[in-house]
Parts: sequence; C-alpha cells; structure tokens
Amino acid sequence: MPKYSQRDIERLLGDLPRPEFRARLRKDLMPGVAIRPSAAPILRVRGAAAAIDFYVRAFGAHEQMRFEAGGTIPHAEIVIGDALLVVADENPEYGFPGPETVGGSTVGIRLDVDDVDAAIRRAVDAGARVARPASDQFYGERSGQVFDPFGYRWTLTKVIETMAVDEMQRRMASMTGAGGPRPPRAAVSHIPAGFHTVTAYPRVADAPALVEFLKRAFGAEQTMIAKSESGVHAEVRLGDSMLKIGGGASGIAAAIEPAPTAFHLYVPDVDAAYERALAAGAESMGAPQDMVYGERGCGVKDPSGNVWYVATAKGASHQPPGAQSLMVFLHPRRAEPVIAFMQRAFGATGVEKFASPDGVVHHAQLRIGDAVIEMGEANGPYQPMPARFYLYVEHVDAAFWKAIGAGATATNEPADQPYGERMAGVKDPFGNQWFIAARL
Amino acid sequence: MTEPADDDRPLVQAAQRDRSRFADLYDRHFERVYAFVAGRVRSRDVAEELTAEVFHKALGALPKYEWRGAPFAAWLIRIAANAVADRAVRASREQGAADSREPASGDLPADVEIERAEERARLFRFVDGLPRDQRAVIVERFVHERSIRETAARIGKSEGAVKQLQIRALHELRARMGGAHA
Repeated sequence: MPKYSQRDIERLLGDLPRPEFRARLRKDLMPGVAIRPSAAPILRVRGAAAAIDFYVRAFGAHEQMRFEAGGTIPHAEIVIGDALLVVADENPEYGFPGPETVGGSTVGIRLDVDDVDAAIRRAVDAGARVARPASDQFYGERSGQVFDPFGYRWTLTKVIETMAVDEMQRRMASMTGAGGPRPPRAAVSHIPAGFHTVTAYPRVADAPALVEFLKRAFGAEQTMIAKSESGVHAEVRLGDSMLKIGGGASGIAAAIEPAPTAFHLYVPDVDAAYERALAAGAESMGAPQDMVYGERGCGVKDPSGNVWYVATAKGASHQPPGAQSLMVFLHPRRAEPVIAFMQRAFGATGVEKFASPDGVVHHAQLRIGDAVIEMGEANGPYQPMPARFYLYVEHVDAAFWKAIGAGATATNEPADQPYGERMAGVKDPFGNQWFIAARL
Repeated sequence: MTEPADDDRPLVQAAQRDRSRFADLYDRHFERVYAFVAGRVRSRDVAEELTAEVFHKALGALPKYEWRGAPFAAWLIRIAANAVADRAVRASREQGAADSREPASGDLPADVEIERAEERARLFRFVDGLPRDQRAVIVERFVHERSIRETAARIGKSEGAVKQLQIRALHELRARMGGAHA
C-alpha cells in the first residue's frame, strides 16, 4: 500500500466530488422509481430534517421524497436497502407526538447490515448512542443496538448462522439450564438482608480511609471489606442504611476515576457529629445551625471529597418519618428530567418537590422501592455531582432494558457474578451510574 | 472498504430484473468512477458531466450486460475510459484543444491508473465516514475551495475550530489511508 504524506492527501482531496452531485445524479438515474412496499413505519420525530440527515449519514439511507409545509416536514420518505421508512415532524397538538415528547418509543427498527461492528461505529460517528454493544446471539445473529438522537432504537444485525426455530429453542433451553424460563426464586429475596432497594456506591481513591473516617465521625459499622489487586470493596452501616464503597487503597490505585458524592445523613446529635467529623479530618462547609425546615444541620467535606449534609431532626426522632438515615443528595441542573427518568426507568414513586416561585426546585425527594433519593437543583457552590447507585431488583434483565428504554446507556451487560448476584450496569443521561442487581 | 468485485453479481442480477436496484450498484461504484474520470480531466464540471454520462450509459446497457467473469467495476471503467476519450476527441475538434490531461486514446486504461483511481475512491469514501463537522470542513475547503474564514462563517464555528477540525480530519484520513509521517 502506498504511503501518503499530508500533502498527498490534500492533493487527492482536490478531486473530491461535490456531495450534492452524487445525490443529484442518483436521483436523475432513477427518476420515478420509488420504493413502495405494502407497509412502512412512520417515524415521527422532533426535527425531521435533522433526522433525515442523520439517517443518511448513520445508516446509508437515501431520501426518496420530501414534502414540506410551513417550515415543517409532514411527510418525507427515506429508503434503506429495500425498505421504506416515512419520516415526519411530530405534531403533538394534533395527537402525533414523537419519542422525545412522550419519553421514548415502544417500536424498534431492525436493520440488517453487512458488518454490525462497522455499522455501529458509523451510527455513533453520526450521533447515535450505543444501547447494547455488538455481540453474538444464541439464535445465530451478531447484533447490537443504538438509539438515534430522536429516540428510536435500532437493532443492527447480521445473520451469522441460519438455524431452525427448534434449534433456537434448544439453545435457549441449554442456556437457562431447563426446558424454559428460569423458575421463580421465591425462597431467596432479591435484596440481601439489611439493604434497602438503593444503596449509594461512591468510589474514592482510598476506600479504607473513608471507612475509617465514617467510623470516627458518624459511628459507622463496617460489615465487610474485600481487597484485591484491582481495588477495595467495603460496606458500612450508618443508622438504618448501608453504604457500599469502592476504590483504591494505599498502594492500590482506584480502577475508576474517583468522583465525590453528596449525602444527607441523619444523626442523633449533629453538633457532636460535626466536632467528630472535623477531628477526623473533614473540612467544614457550615457549622451546625437551626434550619427553617425543622432540622439542625451542618455541612462537612470528608477527606475523600464527599459532601455530607449532617442533620438532626427536631421532634420525637432525630430522623424525620419517611426518610432514611443516609440518602444520596443529587444536584442536577434541573430536577424534573431526573425525576422523570427515575420514574420511567426504575418506577420511582412518592415524588415531593419544593420549588421557589421562580421555579427553582430547592428540594425534591422520591422513592425507589423502600429507598429514598433526594435532590436540589444545582446553584452556587452546589454543582452536579453524579452518583453511583446499587439498585436491587427482582428481574435484572427486565430492569436493565427498562432503564435503557428510558434513555440510559449500557455500561455492563446483565451477567451472573461470582459473588452470587446477577448484575447489569447503566449510566443515566445525567451521569449517574446505576448497578442493577439481584441475589441469585 | 474496497469490495471484492465478485460481490457485484447478485446486485447486477437484481438490477437487471428491477431498475430501481441499480441504486445499489451506483452507491457502490460512484466514487470509483468519479475518481477515475476526475483523474483524467481538469475541471469538476467536466468530471461531473462525464460521470453522469457513464452511469446513464451503464444503466441503459445493463439489460445487455453479460456476466463473463470480468468484474462489473471493470466494465464501468471501460465505459468511463471511452467517455473520456470521446470527449477529448470532441473537444479537440471543436476548440482545437483537448480538455483531457492525457492524449486521447481508445486504449484500455493502464492498471496503474486504475489503481490510482481506486486509492482516490478509497479516500473519498473515508471522507464520507468522517464525523459531520470534519466532513463539512473538508468539503468547504477542498471542494468549494473556501478560505478558513469563509468556511468558519458558513459552518458557524470559529476560525480556530475550523483549523482544528481540518487538522483532525486530515490526520484521520492519512491514518486510514495508511499514511507515513512526511
């Protein structure tokens, strides 16, 4: 193969064809030869022109026709291979919303391609987001999934082995170890004893140091610690809540960039906890004071960089009814999309919001199962601190796909883990990492 | 990226049954034909005119095309070589000057020339695969021959960003073409 210098490349680019010529000639060559199958899906999107451009770039579509009216596209036709898809601007007022308006689409599109991995790369270059990386499937296809920027999920696939349906069923049975779906595991709870549905899982540079700090400052009880070459995993109890901690230790670098988390912690005596926290090396972010909402609270930053809003409620208990001892406190730029995502992805309920007249949500909380997550919109020094959550569910795979459908991106395919859990991972659109798990 | 030519057989047969399927052949061979023609003529307008002629001729002759083991691409290139030669003859008669870069001749193009065209075609396909912003900069700069400033204004980015995009695009293209450090 010849070797090209930059100058060679520039010279060759001088002969580059005009993109519009390529499209025009294609149209000239095949006038009136429109693909018109008996059925075609109508993809309603927010921004049909941009969507058509994306489909051309991502999937090699070509535009067959476009009807424009009043600055919108009520009907355009694109052809991919021998398939026709209608693309139209959404019109929610008249009952034709797109996925972005209703929060996702129930319809996916399957696209047969020559090279799944290359097709996914091309789609991602054009602006798609991977929902499931390419992998070989037991039914004889290699496939992966991407979300287009307009809310539709595309399964890019290639048949690598043709087989009868009987054979597919046989292979599925051998995978699940029985003649059908797994039997229900009623005997074992999917949540380990002592845990809530959601457990915060911060990652820090020195996990044992954080455990030590939490013991000294807040009376945490360490329930387990596991060290390996790749890092440390520890679990501690704080009041009625658990905290999983991952990361490095002295002499072990954290496998993933540490990122601090903000917490809300209820303790019996905030003044004492504040003093102990400072003595254990925390930095003050505000000495204890009485808050208008019926708590006495303070703020500290622990030596690992996590932020702790420590409080004692006034009343019968130091912890208000409905709260957990330890809750993650998110600082999203806007609370509403985060709440909507958690509702769609994880079935969050019990949303309570306190907004000021200017619409800023200062405090909101919601429940996922028996766990509580809090948030307040970012302002001043409180900027977004995406968190890592460990979420116990009954059916990992179903929960994983539900989260993906709600807009999350896959980080870990569902898989059985050596420590007796089935686990999957997703990242939500706001940067929070969720590990979705069930005990096996 | 460059497909083995034998893969064309089912596509040719499909297009012979249904003209609309010629689109697949067009998509597959456009860069190749254009690159070959552009290598032989001076102006983009002429290259476009001749490329259009080649594909129109190919589409018209497709029903008569017989599979004789020679790749479909070679058939297209022969049509292209003839089109370039015919034009050179016409031009020299009409204006007393040839537009082609080489003397007109009905000879089949030499392998080395076809190889050069293949390399150019490969580059054109890589440009198509660049991220959107990089591709836009390459098209503005090299196709429309606009300055950095004009390009910046047209794509709504700063001049610095345009320079960066161009550097990244050229770097990427050279890497994909298997470039050496010059």
